[in-house]
Amino acid sequence: MSLSGKILSVFGLGGHHDCCGQGSQATQPGLKKVAIVGSPNVGKSLVFNRLTGARATVSNYPGTTVSIMRGKARLDGHDYEVTDTPGMYSLLPITEEEGIARAVLLTEKPDVVLHVVDAKNLERMLPFTLQLIEAGLPVVLSLNMTDEAEAAGIMVDAARLEEVLGIPVVATVATSGRGMDILRRRLGEHARNQGCAA
Amino acid sequence: MLETRAVPLKYDEALESALSRIESLLKGSYGVSRRAIGLLLLQGDRQVEKQVSEQDAPSFAGIQGIVAEARARYNQPLSYVIALRQQHEVKRILSATVTAKAKVGAGFAERLSRLMMSPITGVPILIIVLYLCLYQFVGVLGAQVAVKYIEDTIFGEWINPWVTELVTTYVPVTLVQDLFVGEFGIITLGVRYTFALILPIVTTFFIAFSIIEDSGYLPRLAMLIDRVFKFIGLTGRAVIPMVLGFGCDTMATIVTRTQESKREKVITTLLLALAIPCSAQLGVVFAILSGNVMALLIWVLAVFLIFLLVGYLAGKVIPGERSSFYMEVPPLRWPKLSNVMVKTLARLQWYFLEVFPVFIIASILLWAGKLTGAFDYISSGLEPLVRFIGLPPETSTIFLYGFFRRDFGAAGLYDLNEAGILVGVPLVVSAVTLTLFVPCIAQFSVMVKERGVKTAVAIALFIFPFAFLVGFVLNWALTSLGVSL
Repeated sequence: MSLSGKILSVFGLGGHHDCCGQGSQATQPGLKKVAIVGSPNVGKSLVFNRLTGARATVSNYPGTTVSIMRGKARLDGHDYEVTDTPGMYSLLPITEEEGIARAVLLTEKPDVVLHVVDAKNLERMLPFTLQLIEAGLPVVLSLNMTDEAEAAGIMVDAARLEEVLGIPVVATVATSGRGMDILRRRLGEHARNQGCAA
Repeated sequence: MLETRAVPLKYDEALESALSRIESLLKGSYGVSRRAIGLLLLQGDRQVEKQVSEQDAPSFAGIQGIVAEARARYNQPLSYVIALRQQHEVKRILSATVTAKAKVGAGFAERLSRLMMSPITGVPILIIVLYLCLYQFVGVLGAQVAVKYIEDTIFGEWINPWVTELVTTYVPVTLVQDLFVGEFGIITLGVRYTFALILPIVTTFFIAFSIIEDSGYLPRLAMLIDRVFKFIGLTGRAVIPMVLGFGCDTMATIVTRTQESKREKVITTLLLALAIPCSAQLGVVFAILSGNVMALLIWVLAVFLIFLLVGYLAGKVIPGERSSFYMEVPPLRWPKLSNVMVKTLARLQWYFLEVFPVFIIASILLWAGKLTGAFDYISSGLEPLVRFIGLPPETSTIFLYGFFRRDFGAAGLYDLNEAGILVGVPLVVSAVTLTLFVPCIAQFSVMVKERGVKTAVAIALFIFPFAFLVGFVLNWALTSLGVSL
């Protein structure tokens, strides 16, 4: 950064302002890309942190992430660039940060789209999965917060769901790390399969 | 393993025929399937319409015709028709894959959650949360106990004497001595303000805030005060940026992105810039007014009334539709200590990277200003204003600090109170005026980035005289009522 740039950023002029200092804004060329999408407050940022080892801010309310975060992850033996997006309920954006999230899908051509959902509220979450499939995007579905779903007496048959939807489905608990190894492997596999198909 | 291929959902005949006609007209490259683009067009997505009008200009009129034709065939908006079809499909899928056991009664968390959102029990709970987290933890523990110790013992007894000795011994020129240890010295002002005053206050605030946000209380608070916010033309959605503003208004201004309409964003930005004190301001105000309950109440009431009044007027003046409010309410959870710590550290790091250089540069500018006389010139320019609201002339310095950062001005207020220059009515008046006073440089630059130059400048131009006007009215009211604090 030039000296004048430094001085400007000291006064907050021109510098990037975010409460989450980690993760950079620019996309890296050459690396295969994974984009994380989903409704607000389903744990996208926690999954992002688990995959990349970054420390994106995580809270228990919708709308913690308002801008795009990027990090690097090693999945199934290969390096990927992982993008965390602000929450969006569907492919049809309502607010500004939903627009930011959708732009990632429309313009960046991710190699895999990881749709993180709250396993307790599948009825409200799955329409977006259908839209992502409709859009021809290579989707992997992460049934997150499986522990809370189980505690509420909700049992999801992930294998059966995988068959019906025709996409990889992995049950996860991002807070404890449960299912994250399987998720890493399935993401890597799916990304490579896409490469073969293309 | 054989890779199963996902099959897109089928809609009814009229939609499918419209879709296939649109798809055959789309030739551009869109990053997603033509089917998805077609569906978004049918649902009236502006952004996609614009993209298609650019990439498929020749056939755009034809596409619009197909969309209009399809719309005419349904009584409901197509976005509703499409969403309904997707809902049905999801229900069908879930019936084959999910089993749910019937729940037995409401658990403790659920009952507490309801109590938090009902007005009768929610308001007392809010007051308890504010009292424990803001007043006791930030105001007393952070702003009094910790500040006293770091300020008096660490700086007063160790660092200041040692550095002063060091500088006066090795640097013979008074001018240069002043740069480090003078009235506006880098060590005695910049470093001391950062570490002795701001650090303990902001740290305690960020810890309290992280615990509150991880518990899931904020969305419930949003539901609780949605009605109050409706009065000022906002919805409960504005609660999170507002509460975050008590941490740092600059951060909070970025978070206004979560709001739906431009109108809401402008009102929230204005209120953040005007009537939401940041954590350092809040902590300092609690610290210096806590000895006097009456003074603290006047401050709280004055700032709250201004918040409501300006919010209400802005809601009337700023055009645009009121948006409806709906927010997911996540379950109440026990905050995880590790996440609270990680978040607090990340926020502190962000905060200090921003605040520390500004304090140092401000110290240097103030020192240079003193040297060249520019400082006295600006100070004396502010003096009539300061007198106008009944404050001693020394106060003009802290308003000058306030231009750099809100917390810098607040730290100055703390110093003047310690020195016995600001007490009683003038103390409350200056605390209120300084709370409302201009957004700091960082916040202003974010306002420009998020809202545009025109709006940002207009807000700043409104706030500057308005803050002094409020100070004047408050001073006049308190003195003519004969209030002694």
